[in-house]
Amino acid sequence: MSSAPGSEIQTTLPALAPERPVVWPPRVRATLSNGLEVVLVESHTIPKFNGQLFFRSGNAIVAATAPGLADMTATVMRTGTTARSSRQIEEDLRRVGADLSAGAGADNSVVSFAGLVDFSGDLLRLVAELTQHAAFPADEFERERRQLVEGLKIERTTPGFLGSERFRRVLFGAHPYGTISPTETQVEGYRLEQLSEYYRKYYRPGNALLVMVGDFSPAAMLAQVEQIFGSWAAGAVDDAPNPTLPELHGRHVYLVDLPGSVQTQVLVGNRAITRKHTDWLRLTLANSIYGGAFNSRLVMNIREEKGYTYSPRSGAHSLRQHGYFSISAAVRNDVVAAALTEIFYEVDRMRSTPVGEDELADARNYMTGVFSLGLATQDGLAGQLASATLERMPEDYLETYRERILKLTSADVLDAAQKYFDSANAQVVVVGDRTKIESQAATFGQLEVYDAQGQRI
Amino acid sequence: MTQLNIPIESMALANGLRVVVSPDRTAPVATVGVYYNIGFRIEPRGKSGFAHLFEHMMFQGSANAGKMAHIKAINSSGGVLNGSTHYDVTNYYEAVPSNALDRVLWLEADRMRALKVDDENLRNQRDVVKEEVRVNVLNQPYGGFPWLDLPPVAYRNWANAHNFYGDFDDLDAATLDDVQKFFKTYYAPSNAVLLILGDVDTDEGFKLAERHFASIPSGPQPAPADIDEPPQIDERRGEVEEKFGTLPTIAIGHPAPRRLTPEWYAAAMLDEALHGGRAGRVYRKLVLEQQIAVDTDGGIHYPVGDLFDYNGPTLMVTRIMHKPEYSADRTIAAYDEILDEMKQTGIASDELEPIKVKFRSHYFSMLEGGGSIPRYGLMHLLACFTLFDNDPHLVNSILGGFMEVTPESVQSTAHKLLLRENRSIVIRQQAKKVAA
Repeated sequence: MSSAPGSEIQTTLPALAPERPVVWPPRVRATLSNGLEVVLVESHTIPKFNGQLFFRSGNAIVAATAPGLADMTATVMRTGTTARSSRQIEEDLRRVGADLSAGAGADNSVVSFAGLVDFSGDLLRLVAELTQHAAFPADEFERERRQLVEGLKIERTTPGFLGSERFRRVLFGAHPYGTISPTETQVEGYRLEQLSEYYRKYYRPGNALLVMVGDFSPAAMLAQVEQIFGSWAAGAVDDAPNPTLPELHGRHVYLVDLPGSVQTQVLVGNRAITRKHTDWLRLTLANSIYGGAFNSRLVMNIREEKGYTYSPRSGAHSLRQHGYFSISAAVRNDVVAAALTEIFYEVDRMRSTPVGEDELADARNYMTGVFSLGLATQDGLAGQLASATLERMPEDYLETYRERILKLTSADVLDAAQKYFDSANAQVVVVGDRTKIESQAATFGQLEVYDAQGQRI
Repeated sequence: MTQLNIPIESMALANGLRVVVSPDRTAPVATVGVYYNIGFRIEPRGKSGFAHLFEHMMFQGSANAGKMAHIKAINSSGGVLNGSTHYDVTNYYEAVPSNALDRVLWLEADRMRALKVDDENLRNQRDVVKEEVRVNVLNQPYGGFPWLDLPPVAYRNWANAHNFYGDFDDLDAATLDDVQKFFKTYYAPSNAVLLILGDVDTDEGFKLAERHFASIPSGPQPAPADIDEPPQIDERRGEVEEKFGTLPTIAIGHPAPRRLTPEWYAAAMLDEALHGGRAGRVYRKLVLEQQIAVDTDGGIHYPVGDLFDYNGPTLMVTRIMHKPEYSADRTIAAYDEILDEMKQTGIASDELEPIKVKFRSHYFSMLEGGGSIPRYGLMHLLACFTLFDNDPHLVNSILGGFMEVTPESVQSTAHKLLLRENRSIVIRQQAKKVAA
C-alpha cells in the first residue's frame, strides 16, 4: 500500500467554479417562396449532419376516419418513389452512409435523416423525392400492413403500452389524443387511396418545417435547400379538429387485467397545459422537483427509501392542442396500494408546502444544466430547435430559457403544483394481474376493470 | 477520412490509475467516466447478478459522501449520471456543465477510495434490482431475449453461460461482506481508467486527476479469471417459453473473432452485410422479399454490447421474429440460404464499398452521442481500448483497418465463422396449445 506524498484527502464537496457562458451557435431561418420554413444551425462536432422534415399534420387530423393512418402513410412513403424501388432506396441510403426513418405522431408527420456531409445533396434529393413523388406500391403496403398488425398484437401484451392506452383514453376520451394506436380491424380497413390522399393533402411545403444541424455552412446549405426544395408546389392545409374533452371529476381507478403479470404498471395524472401556456416553465420546474430528476422526491421516496420500484418518474407532456401531467412506476404487486399512497403523499406535499430555497436552487440548476448538455451534440441541438420551432415559440425562446428558469420562485412552484397536480381529480391506471391488485387499487377511487383488448369487464 | 485527429492524452498515476483526457471546448460541458475492468462475466461463481447489484451499491454512499450525496451533487450541478454493467467492464459516468468538473472528480475519487454502505442500503437496492429485472425481463414480451437466453445454450464455462441479471435466490444471498470483498478485489485504481472529455485542458485534467485520485492507495491486481470455452463441435439448441409475446422468435449465434484480429475487421463488414438495417441481406430477404419474418436484427456482441466492448468469448447474433404460419425449421432454412450464398458467391465490391461508407458514418455518430451524455461513445471506446489494449489512440486509427477489408477476406471469414457445427440456436415462443 502506498500513498502519494503531499496530497491530502478532501472530505467535503468542492464548490462549483464560475460558469462558462453558454453560447448558442448562430442559426439561419428562412421561408422559401413556396412556404417551406427552414432552420439551419452549424455544429462541427463530427463530419455529419442531421435533419428532420416535419409536416404539421399527423394522426389526429384523420382520427375520425382512420386512426393511425398518418403513421402508415409515412411508413409506406419510404418504400418507393416514381423513380426508385424500395431496394434502391435502401441501397442508395447505404451508399451515402445515411439513416432515414419516417413516421407520424398525433400532431406531426416527420422524415428524420442523418448522413455524411460529403453526400448531403444526394440525401436531400432523396428526402425531396420521398416527400413529393412517393409511389405507394400496393405490395409494399400489404407487407407493411401485416407487419403493423403483428406489432399491435405484441403491443397488447406490453404493460407500458396498455397503461398509456387506457390513461390517454381516460384523459382525452373521444378527442384524437384519446387514441394512441389503431386497432387491428382499423388497420385491416386502411385503403391505399387513403394513404395517397393523405399524402397529397398534407405533405405540402406550406405545412412543413425543415430543421438541419451539422457540419456545414448555413448559407451554402440554404442555397442547396432552395435548389432541391424550391420547385415544390405550395398548398394550403386545414387544422386538426379539437372536439370537446371529457369532464374529469373525482379520482377514478382503471385496472387493465394482464393475468400472470409479476409486476404492476402504475400511472397517475391529469390533463394540464401545453408548452405555449405562460405556466409551462413553472410546471416543468415543479415536475423536476416532484419526479423529473434522479434526485427528485418521488425517486427518493419509492425507490431509494422504500425499494418499491426501479423506474419511477413524472413528466409534463405537451401536445399541440392540450397537455397532460403523468406519474409512472412499475412496482411490486404487493405494494400497489403503498406506492399509490406515497405518490399521492408527495403530490399533496408539493401542493401544500412551499419548496425550500436550497431544493429550489438545485432544481433550477438541474434544468438549466441539462439544457446546456443538449447543445453539445448535433442530435441534442436538433431536438431543442425542433421542439421550439415546431410549436412556433418566440424567436428568443431557447436563448432566454436559462434566465427564465433561474427567475422562478418557490411561489411559482407552489402555484403550478396547486393548479396542475390535481390530486383530488387524479386519474389512476394500474396494469397487472387483477387477482393480485384489484382490492389494493379499489381503495383509491371508483374502479373500472378492462381486459388487454380494451373491453370493459 | 479514416485517420481521425481527436485530441487524446493519457498518463498513469503512481497507484496505477490510468487517466485519459480528450479536450473539446466547443460547449461548456464535460463528460467524466470511470471504468473498472470487471463485468458480469467474471462475478463470483454462484453469485449470479452480483456485479450489477454491486454497481447499484456504488451509488449508496462512499467515505465522505453518504447515500444520495452523489446523485444530489450531480443533479444540483446541472448534470446527469448513471452507471452500467457490461460483460467485461463496469462504468460510472457523469455529464455536467464544466464548472462542476472538480466536484465530479472528487465524488468519483471518494467512491474509488472507500464504499460506506450498510445492510439497509443492500436490502433496498436488492429490491430495486428485482424490480429492474421484472420491468426489463420477467414482465415484458421477449424480455431478456436473446441476451439472457443464448449464453446458457452457447457456453459451457459458467463465466460465460450464467444469468447475468441474477437469479433472485442468488441476489437474496448476497451479503455486505460480499460487497466489500468485491470492492477490494476489483475496484483498485490499477484496475480502472478515468476519462475526462469535453470542456477541459489536458494539463488541467491531469492536475485534477492527480489532486483527487493520487492519494487512493494502490491495491493488488486481481488474478486473471478463466473465461475460456472448450471448442464447439456440434450445433447447440435450446427452447425458452414466451409468456406474453404472440410471435415465435429465433436467435442464432456464431462465435465472433477476437478483437483486433484480421478476421475481426472482416467480420465487422460481414456483419454489416448481413445485419446492416433494411439494406442488410437478412432483413431484405426475410422481411422485405420472402416475407417470412416481420422483423430481424443482429450484430456482433448484440444486443447488449458492440463490436468494441468485449474481451472474451462472444457471438455474432441474428434475431428473427417470424410469422406463425412459418415453422422455425422453415425460417432457419431460409436464413441458411443467406449464409450459404455469402459463403459461395461472397460479396461484390459494389456492396462492400457502400457498407464501408455506412460503417464510417455510424462510427462518427457513435463517438458523438449516447442519449443524454455527450461523447458517451468516445468515452466508451477510449475506456475499452485502454483497459483491453492499453492504447486509447486506437480511437483515431481503427477505422483504417475496416476500410482495408477486401471482398475476399469477407468471404473467407464467412467460411470460417458461419458454420452449422459451431452455432447455437434458441427458439422462444408460447407453449403449444394442446388440442382437446
